[in-house]
Amino acid sequence: MRISLLFRPFLAAVLLATVLGSLLQTHLNLAVLQAHGIAVPVTVRLHTSGLDLLGFGPTLAALVATAFLVALPLALWLLRGRDALGWPLFALAGALSLLAALAVANALAPMPTLIAANRTLAGTLGLMACASAGGLLFYALLRPTRGRVA
Amino acid sequence: MIKQAAALCLVMAAPHAVAAMDYRIETLVTGLEHPWSLAFLPDGGMLVTERVGRLRLIDAQGQLQAEPLAGLPEMFTAAQAGLMEVALDPDFARNQRIFLTYAYGTLEANNTRLASARLVDGRLEDVRVLFSAQPAKAGASHYGGRLAFLADATLVLTLGDAFDLREEAQNPANHLGKLVRLNRDGSVPADNPLRGQPGAAPEVYSLGHRNVQGIVFDAQQRRLYSHEHGPRGGDELNLIEPGLNYGWPLVSYGVDYTGARISPYQELPGLQPPLLHWTPSVAPASLTQYTGTLFAQWQGDLFAATLAERSVRRIRLHDGKLAGEEVLFEELESRIRDVRNGPDGALYLLTDSAEGQLLRVVPSE
Repeated sequence: MRISLLFRPFLAAVLLATVLGSLLQTHLNLAVLQAHGIAVPVTVRLHTSGLDLLGFGPTLAALVATAFLVALPLALWLLRGRDALGWPLFALAGALSLLAALAVANALAPMPTLIAANRTLAGTLGLMACASAGGLLFYALLRPTRGRVA
Repeated sequence: MIKQAAALCLVMAAPHAVAAMDYRIETLVTGLEHPWSLAFLPDGGMLVTERVGRLRLIDAQGQLQAEPLAGLPEMFTAAQAGLMEVALDPDFARNQRIFLTYAYGTLEANNTRLASARLVDGRLEDVRVLFSAQPAKAGASHYGGRLAFLADATLVLTLGDAFDLREEAQNPANHLGKLVRLNRDGSVPADNPLRGQPGAAPEVYSLGHRNVQGIVFDAQQRRLYSHEHGPRGGDELNLIEPGLNYGWPLVSYGVDYTGARISPYQELPGLQPPLLHWTPSVAPASLTQYTGTLFAQWQGDLFAATLAERSVRRIRLHDGKLAGEEVLFEELESRIRDVRNGPDGALYLLTDSAEGQLLRVVPSE
């Protein structure tokens, strides 16, 4: 097994889930402003997205990386001999691992809910979808090299 | 035993007007478990709340009575929840009534409650629940819980946004993230600003707050000041006017604890900006105005106790306008939960810990 081949797909998966999750968080917050009749021009939207990627991104990345560190190798192990299950398995691994990581973070953090998007069902499902995308990217990048990895 | 610490306080925010003042800090009482609020009795004694759900009596000789006062209502204690404010009725000499704020409910459904009771022979009697903030929410964060009496002897109670429900601070229909004004019997004053407005809770006095843990009425200038905890940064000192919206969470000088932007805007038309904001956060936990004579230079100034900065912020006022700040009592290296203007002209502090202390600040000579 060549573990080093997992490294780049793993990083790419964490990066994608983090960027998508951060953008989701930004635009959920901005949607609250719009619901109160406050204008959010495109320039403000882009600027806020950028600030969140820099300010919030590292926190989310740490959470996603921790979740994926457990879930993606586990999914890889479960996949052995079941190639047809690859896409749904990694989508599920990404989503459920982030859900578990959020639950642990909320239990440990002093506040009820660490990440604002996680306060609502829609936001939580959105974050899980972002993590799913990360899991799928991991699988997509890994497929050509799978014979050498596992 | 009285420990004394001499210290020099320096004016921090007015570099061209450095003033120095000597004071000493006396330790009056130790062993208080997360003390939250202090009230002075006419006989020279004091009442102290402990967040864990105890009301303690310190007699006129300064001795902490071993047994907590009996007769407290049932309350919810966890994390930030528990017994909070104690305040004497402005007519205490006649009616012996005190006011208490505390958390009611369970971890799944709780909020802030205001009650009054008669203090009779070292116990509480005739406990009356006057107000329960609605809706009940989950978790144990952001209760507000401070009280101030206005010139007409109505009271203003500070509340919190429950953390997870921050957007509700903009919803006038409930009490989350609001200041509410009540008569002392719990009824709603006829001239409350939103009373009669469809879809608004009649108790609401102002809205758009996060977690307001300091409020004081300047009787001379007839101004109501409050401060509130921001998220990461954006703690605010506000001048409260009835019916106005103070903006949370649509505007903020802070960001979320995760680093996420809560709003890209710090100020917007129609939303009241703070008189000042503290970024990074100092975590203001109590607000008083000094009206004593022991420290002539402090006359009329506001004092804000801070948890995170472990200090007391002196906010200088000149003709009702802000005139700079100083950071005091950092040498204590303690979270300060309460600061009070004592009837003897001293400043009283409560430190926040499992072994909290009651301290008295007096001139060094």
